Amino acid sequence: MEQNPRPRSVLETLGEEIIRIVTPVSICMLAVVILVSILNGDSSSRGDLPITTMATIAYSESSSDSTWDKLKGALLNSLVFVAVVTVVTFLLVLLFYLRCTKFLKYYMGFSAFLVLGFMGGEIALLLIQDFSFPVDCITFAILLFNFTVVGVLAVFMSKMAIFVTQAYLVVIGMLVAYWFTLLPEWTTWVLLVAMALYDLAAVLLPGGPLRLLVELAMSRDEDIPALVYEARPVINDSGPSGGVVRRRVWREERGDTDENQGLSANTRSGLASDSTPGTHLSVGIGEHERNLADAEEGRVTGGDSELTTPLIQHINVRMNSSENAVPSENLVLEGIGLGSSGAIKLGLGDFIFYSVLVGRAAMYDFMTVYACYLAIVAGLGVTLMLLAFYRKALPALPVSIMLGVLFYLLTRLLLEDFVVQCSMNLLMF
Amino acid sequence: MTVAAGIGYALSALGPSLSLFTAVISHKPFLILILLSSTLVWLMSLIALSAVWRGFIPFKTAAWWPYALLILTSVASQEALRLFLWRLYKRMEELLDAFADRVSKPRLVITDKMQIALAGGMGHGVAHAVFFCISLLTPAFGSATYYVEKCSRIPFFLVSAMIALAFVTIHTFSMVIAFSGYSEGNRTDQYFAPVVHLAAGMLYMRSVPILKFEVSIAISEGVSSTTLLEIREDILIFRRCPHLQGIPIAPKNRVSPTEDGSLAAGGPSAYDYHLRLGPKFTGAIIIVTQ
Repeated sequence: MEQNPRPRSVLETLGEEIIRIVTPVSICMLAVVILVSILNGDSSSRGDLPITTMATIAYSESSSDSTWDKLKGALLNSLVFVAVVTVVTFLLVLLFYLRCTKFLKYYMGFSAFLVLGFMGGEIALLLIQDFSFPVDCITFAILLFNFTVVGVLAVFMSKMAIFVTQAYLVVIGMLVAYWFTLLPEWTTWVLLVAMALYDLAAVLLPGGPLRLLVELAMSRDEDIPALVYEARPVINDSGPSGGVVRRRVWREERGDTDENQGLSANTRSGLASDSTPGTHLSVGIGEHERNLADAEEGRVTGGDSELTTPLIQHINVRMNSSENAVPSENLVLEGIGLGSSGAIKLGLGDFIFYSVLVGRAAMYDFMTVYACYLAIVAGLGVTLMLLAFYRKALPALPVSIMLGVLFYLLTRLLLEDFVVQCSMNLLMF
Repeated sequence: MTVAAGIGYALSALGPSLSLFTAVISHKPFLILILLSSTLVWLMSLIALSAVWRGFIPFKTAAWWPYALLILTSVASQEALRLFLWRLYKRMEELLDAFADRVSKPRLVITDKMQIALAGGMGHGVAHAVFFCISLLTPAFGSATYYVEKCSRIPFFLVSAMIALAFVTIHTFSMVIAFSGYSEGNRTDQYFAPVVHLAAGMLYMRSVPILKFEVSIAISEGVSSTTLLEIREDILIFRRCPHLQGIPIAPKNRVSPTEDGSLAAGGPSAYDYHLRLGPKFTGAIIIVTQ
């Protein structure tokens, strides 16, 4: 019936980058909410078990304390946590400076193994217990071991199918986030705010560890070894093979096995140390991720997204990456997510803390979950817009976490009663 | 309420919007972003309303006027929000057109604008359904269910699901109508949305226990608004695109005055498929599911 194919409207490609990041974040949040409602819903008394972790070393909250005591204890806890994170990040910067990249990569793989194997195994055991799923030890051990090893390979090797890597990163984020929701309530909230503030300081202040790390990496033109989620690059009308070829060339050109530099590298240094109730496994520092958005590398300087720019131009763009190399026209282009052939990267720590916020909201009620989800996605969108505008390393936590906490408080205090009362009286609008 | 019943309630409130989402919105990332932003904006207006009314709820009196005042203020604030969104939309349209010129793609045509309005309206509708219906389901899992005095023959959750369904439809399509009314200056279109919204809101606050009758009114309200909207939509589109009416169009008079954007970039026939499929398809889905 149609004589000519319809020219693709602007609506079909605009914003695709943002959606490709929002989708895995949403999936991670959904998984954490489901886990929280299945596992924590049955035994709400489990929250009082004393979990001694790095995050509760200063003060163990119990429900009989007064509000002021809880607040003070939570502040102490978060201060300790942030201090440990700062020390570890500086250590990471030092190691990176001394070019111990191999050690860092092995450590990353090791922490992925621990998260997937032990935390994943424990959650799987809890689920099996809950649903009375009939499976024997040997089968379970074999399955878990295989799952873990494939996950470690996915994190290590960049030649794995990108979907598998993405899926495993989301699973790792989900597991760590679930662990964080086991912390006491006040500690969790104050910790989230503290991490957001730390992130802001570490990335934007001149002496901040994350900023140092990014500058080091840029000056040496290397990849930072970290757990980073990378969205598929947006290829417009050039077919999947073109994109894949481009990625391969980037990687071979670099010569190292880490993930390729994308449009914005958002990595974060967080740590997960834990000893779960029952198993006295004290893992040291977990993942190292960084919370930056690196805007320079990998951007297309060509104006038109539909032309396939020659490969050499991409490499030149990356080599000579600097803050003001790109004309301002492309700011709008890439800012709204259209036309860039690089991929957006988001650090795993961002996934984790967003999911912790939503998981903690799920422990109260689902209305707060919906409100916090919308707030976090809005914050993420704002951060991506700012990223396109400022074109330098930006922290992804502060805006989303602040909006999320604000909406949680507003919903819990104001909205819920109002909506319930209106619904009961059938006052709908 | 069992989990299966809960899923049933959730689907009956959100089913048509889910199908609309997968058919129209999920293919275009920009529309998904519009949906999320309009959901957020509606939520913010709801929080503002609750901040104002929080001190007065629950109403101690059985008189009808506090309820009416509540509905009136809520509908007024949401219609003001719609106007505000229209202003934002105009600004965004200019940006998008400038951007489309820059990457040499066609400018926004009428279907694009309607789809943006549809996504915006659906954001409002989904927000209503989620906050008024779905979020009340999860605490109620377990044995037994809940009834309200106003409609004591049907479980409360079913009532709220039906009402949410009607409101999703109303929100979704009144945004389309309102936007086209604002852009054309058509007074009936402009006043359609607030009037229908207010009428629907006032409908359920009668404290006379009419039970099932009330719910059927709700459904018929939703259906009638839908059909009305569908017809209007078709008429709107039909009026604007003479090439759909079988009028042979010579190349030089192809550009109609109401359509901005460069039609030269593509043939006019390409729009037929989308135009004819879009509104009728979605209308059929909604009417069938109701």
